[in-house]
Amino acid sequence: MAMARPAQGRSLRNAVELVTALTSRDLRLRYQGSVLGWAWSLARPLALGAVLAFALGRVLGTGITAEFLLAGLFPWFWFQGAVQGAAGSFIGNGGLLKKVRFPRAVLPLSTVLGATLQFALSLPVLIGFVIAAGNGPTAAWLGLPLIFALQLGLVTGIGLFVASVTVYFRDLEHITEVLLTLLFYATPIIYSADLVPEGYRWLTYANPLAPIMEGWRGILLDGAMPAADHLAASAGLTALALAAGWGAFRRLEDGFADAI
Amino acid sequence: MPSEGEVVLAARGVSRRYPLAVPGQALKTTLLHPGQAFAAWRHRQRRELWAVRDVSFEVRRGEFFSIVGANGSGKSTLLRLLAGLSKPTKGTVELRGRVSTLLELGSGFHPQVSGRENVIMNGLLMGLTKREMEALLPGIVEFAGLREFIDQPMRTYSSGMYVRLGFAIAAFMDPEILLVDEVLAVGDAKFQEKCYDHIAKLQARGVTIVMVSHDLGAVERFSDRAALMERGRMVAIGAPRKVVGLHLERLAETSPEIRQAIDEGMAADEERVRRLLEEDPEWAAAFASALEQNPAFHEKLRQQQAGQGAGSDARAD
Repeated sequence: MAMARPAQGRSLRNAVELVTALTSRDLRLRYQGSVLGWAWSLARPLALGAVLAFALGRVLGTGITAEFLLAGLFPWFWFQGAVQGAAGSFIGNGGLLKKVRFPRAVLPLSTVLGATLQFALSLPVLIGFVIAAGNGPTAAWLGLPLIFALQLGLVTGIGLFVASVTVYFRDLEHITEVLLTLLFYATPIIYSADLVPEGYRWLTYANPLAPIMEGWRGILLDGAMPAADHLAASAGLTALALAAGWGAFRRLEDGFADAI
Repeated sequence: MPSEGEVVLAARGVSRRYPLAVPGQALKTTLLHPGQAFAAWRHRQRRELWAVRDVSFEVRRGEFFSIVGANGSGKSTLLRLLAGLSKPTKGTVELRGRVSTLLELGSGFHPQVSGRENVIMNGLLMGLTKREMEALLPGIVEFAGLREFIDQPMRTYSSGMYVRLGFAIAAFMDPEILLVDEVLAVGDAKFQEKCYDHIAKLQARGVTIVMVSHDLGAVERFSDRAALMERGRMVAIGAPRKVVGLHLERLAETSPEIRQAIDEGMAADEERVRRLLEEDPEWAAAFASALEQNPAFHEKLRQQQAGQGAGSDARAD
């Protein structure tokens, strides 16, 4: 007797609607009842940018500018918010995972999508700063979608991986927090990759986020795409992150309901 | 009819093993006590629990199949395996048809958003589209009796309202197979009655129902067949009256109170009975069933339960 596994008849349309509904609910809840709402998502990069511009630019006299910092900080907070949010997306929805059968991947994916939307909504503000600082749009801006896609792939891969493994190894959520702080300084965000001493330059190839950050800044401020080999290295590592994230998720998802 | 229908649910040699918590899994312990952690890791395979062992049965289309058993006998784990929420360690579960699961009503609700949004979200989680859910919404709201409250955030709902909305959603999913886990024990008596009425209607339409319950009266009333679980094994399967009787016999062996209740049809010490009813749902169910033979007392008990139900659900009115 041949029988199919539970035929839930789940359509792609349902999956898309589910991710959309979860994302919009999370975003609405985050700013529900706050007067400034979405504007708060600008507060962190702007405040950090202002402080660093003063501390590094004026006090230490490095000549670093606010727009230089902001062009790195806005994408950085997208990266950090997405990875950090995804880390808790399974363990924070234990009740749901235990009781309802649905494609589990929608949880981290909707968290990542929420952070991405927030970034997309803050992008006009960043571009406003860039233009106000005297950097008009150039042909290189056409490369922005490529950098955007690279970073989206990277946060999705890392987010899926961290979310899945955290279910079994809770310490990972805290380890992620520490690693994110280290990564912030290890990545050329508040400095430029050119300043990295020759002997350590390879590090910016091993770090898939480095060319992405350089990319945002190079395109927006200097009208120049990052070096092709640098981008290729980043694309390769991003593909690796996606494969690792998906692989870990598929391997571990069957046990989620029991492990939480 | 059920004995002639095609098999829509089949469990074959289903077993499920759970590892028991082993010291040394936390990173801190591992780092501070590596020896202990290593020892735990080496012995990890010995510390495990077979929650379900070698269970095989078949359910046919349109059949109402109940699973009874003491707490911890593995019946809820079995239902979760049937629902596909966890995978059997050994054996296979095969289902044919759209499955709707009723495990702890309303567990997927988010308290900060409205009942309406939660209904839609629940439907999306279960695989329906937004449009389909919007079409079902009026019926669900009507069935749950929450018309004035549906746009309020769910944190303002009483527990009774939670349960009613949860059941209404599952009931309107148009399932072919409905898996129910003793959720109907909550909620007031009036709504419980409504739920059973609805289940009976689903059954009449040919929906297959598998229910785990402590409500032995309901098991006898509605089931076509019942099964008894004991320490992970399915030890009996057959006519509900026989299986429930066997279950009560086994319970009686472990509890003199139940023995007494069964023998006398009622218990002498009302104080003690009331305490046991509150503290031990297993005992309460057995007691209620035993009292079936004594209609007057049973009626009194029902009235009492209805009174309590109305009390806990006051915010809904």
